[in-house]
Parts: sequence; structure tokens; C-alpha cells
Amino acid sequence: MEGRPTDGDLFTRAQRGDKVAYEEIVRRYQEVAFRTAYVITGSSADAEDAAQEGFVKAYRALATFRAGAEPRPWLLRIVANEARNRARSAGRRRQLELRLAERFRPGDAAPSPEAAAVAAEDRSRLLALVNGLSEEDRRVIASRYFLELSGEETAAALGIPQGTVKSRLSRALSRLRARVEEGSGA
Amino acid sequence: MPEITELEQRLDLLREGIEWPATPAMAGRIAARIAAPAPARRPWFRTQWALAAAVVLLAIAALITYTPTRDAIASWINLHTIITRVNQLPTPSPRPSGPLGTRLGLGEPTTLAAAQAKAGWRVLVPASLGQPDEVYFQVDAPAGEVSLVYKVRPGLKVSGETGVAVLITEVSGRVDTNFFGKMLGPDTTIEDVTVNGHRGWWISGAPHEIFFVDANGNFRNETLRLATNTLLIDDNGIVIRIEGDLTKTQALEMAASLS
Repeated sequence: MEGRPTDGDLFTRAQRGDKVAYEEIVRRYQEVAFRTAYVITGSSADAEDAAQEGFVKAYRALATFRAGAEPRPWLLRIVANEARNRARSAGRRRQLELRLAERFRPGDAAPSPEAAAVAAEDRSRLLALVNGLSEEDRRVIASRYFLELSGEETAAALGIPQGTVKSRLSRALSRLRARVEEGSGA
Repeated sequence: MPEITELEQRLDLLREGIEWPATPAMAGRIAARIAAPAPARRPWFRTQWALAAAVVLLAIAALITYTPTRDAIASWINLHTIITRVNQLPTPSPRPSGPLGTRLGLGEPTTLAAAQAKAGWRVLVPASLGQPDEVYFQVDAPAGEVSLVYKVRPGLKVSGETGVAVLITEVSGRVDTNFFGKMLGPDTTIEDVTVNGHRGWWISGAPHEIFFVDANGNFRNETLRLATNTLLIDDNGIVIRIEGDLTKTQALEMAASLS
């Protein structure tokens, strides 16, 4: 087949020692790997180190990648593991602080500048509440909603069994909802 | 639950607005790392002396294997050309409580001028950070050790435990790379850098100790005070280290402005 090779093709080629194919894999995955590591470490320097180290380790471990398996969770597991090690050694001095882009405007046109301002305020309040959650809750919410990871990928990123993701997410959402309601005086 | 669904929708909307730090381009550096051949052998290995050397090495290797001081021997004969990693770094002993200087083992509080008068070298201050908030002088090292404490600076994170954003320590001596292996745990990475023409190393991943040769030629090890990313510079007779929750770029900028 002509055109862009699939991730599976690239992995097969990389497993045969094709370094150019692996570079392409890195290019495809570096953003999600870096952001996942950032969600875990809360530091872009550590996230960069973790992603880089993870990609190097993954290359050396390519032989353990089963043909036909999903490459994204496999890679994210290795990178996230690196990130968790760094987060642990950094201890509690760091905390993830996600921010909103200043010029952010929602996709659908707002009816008026006032309504847009209210919507923006609402979003930054919600994000502040997410930032204020426990590390465990924040990581699972960020993985699912902000990084759009699948269940399998979230499990890989958090280092937990796939069956645990759903319950952890629903507990995190309940706690977030409680805080949203507290804030709105409900 | 309908409320959860609504909340999920709001989280979905939030996604587009999140400002992530820029993803660094890593493909080139990773390609370089995976392309790196096995560590190069020393040129003398190819000479006619190879056999004789091999015999000597074998004897030394036996010695190294069976004596408890193998690290010391390995460093005398400069065998540590490949950086080895330790699986578990020793946990630093807890610091005593009290004022910052005592807690971090920085010595006595002093002024920059007084520290300069006591130190056996010209104390360098990073122009990019300006005058330090606190200065300490430690008499422990042969020619003394000077620490500059920076508490709050725009764009720098302050350590919650110590209230310190950046700690710069200067001591008379030189860096001995043979001992790098001892300070690198499994999660620590080290990278060669150059700062104003001097050799330097960017050590990230919470190293705990550094090793250097002091002004009297003795090997010394010291606990890194903040156990954060550290930039180590060998400035012709002064070992300078910059510790803090810094990016490599931030640390290099500070180092380049030392004068």
C-alpha cells in the first residue's frame, strides 16, 4: 500500500533494526508521550527527560513488543513508568498546574462578549478545581479528558490494571462534582 | 448520572483551552542515542602491548573483584571510563533542624564581601539573578565553601521545604568524572555541557551527592542540598554547582552570567 505507513508497519520495521522507522514513531508519539509525562511529573523538564529516556528504553525493548498489539499503550507504559519514577524522587515539592491559553475561545461562537467572558471564567474555575484534586484524581481526569487516552492507555499511563480505570475515574468525577457544587453554593 | 455527564461535557470543552508546555523535538536526540555504538575502546588496546596489558588488566581485575576497595583502585588506574550506575543511592541522612544554614549544612551566614575575603578564589555571582538573598561560608573544605541563596525570583519555583529557589555553591577544587558513577542512580541522567568554555554537566533526576577533588587533592563527596536538577561546572580550579527546580536552559543561563 502506498502513502503513510501504519504504526504497526513502523513497529515491524523498527523491530528489524530500521532506525529511521523508529524516528518516525518518535515523531508520531512524542507529543502524547511528553504530555502524559507532564501530567505525571508536573514539570516540563522532567517530562522531557522521561519521554526521551522512555523512547530510548522502548527501542531497546522492541523485541518484547508483540506484533499486532497496540503500540500506543505499550509506549506510554514505558514513558509513564519513567515519569512516575521522576515524580517520586521529586517528592511533594511539585504539583501539576494545568493552565488555560489566554486567547482561548470556545469553538462555537459566543452570543456576546459578556457571555464569552462568563464561559471563560467558568472554564478557569473548573480547571482550578481539577488542579486542586488529589494527585490520583487529577491524573485520571487529565488522562481521559485532556489527553483523550483510551481505557487501555490510561491504565498504562497510571500503571494500574485496565479494570480499575473506570472505577477510579468515576470516583474522581464524583469528587470533582462535589467541589463544583460546593463552589456554586448548591 | 446526568450531572456527571454534564461535567464530562464541560471537561471535554476544557480540553481545547489547555495550554500545554511546548513539546520538545526529541526525535533527533533519541536517534543519536540509539545510534551510539558501544563505548569506544582505548586506542592502546590495538597496539603490540595489548597482550601484556591484558595480562596486567587480568591481574588488576582479579584484585578489583576481590577487594572491598575496588572503586578506589578503579579510580587510581582510571578504569571508570564507562559511567556505571548504582541501583540504589544511599539515602542522605536527615539534616538537623534550625535556621536554613544549619538545616542545609551551608555553614555560617555572612556577607558576600566577607565571604570573598575568606575564600581563596574570586567568588562568582550570576548577573542574571543579581545579589543573593543570603550568603554562607563553610569552613569544612580546605579553602572554604561559599553558598549563595536565592529565595524568590520571577519565573523560578521555590522549594516548599527550604524556601530556596536557587542554591549556588562554590568550592575550590576540580570535578573528577571517574566518580560520576557513584552519584547516578537509576533515574538520574547526566549530559555534558559547556559554559563559557568550561566543562560542565547537567544532572537531572534528583541526584543526591557530588564527588570532587578538593584544593588539597583529596577526594570529597558532598550531599546535594536540594536533591533537584543540578548543573555542575569545573571552572579552572573552582567547582560551581547550581541547584534548583530548574530547566536546563534556566540553569545554563545563570551559569553563563556568572562573573
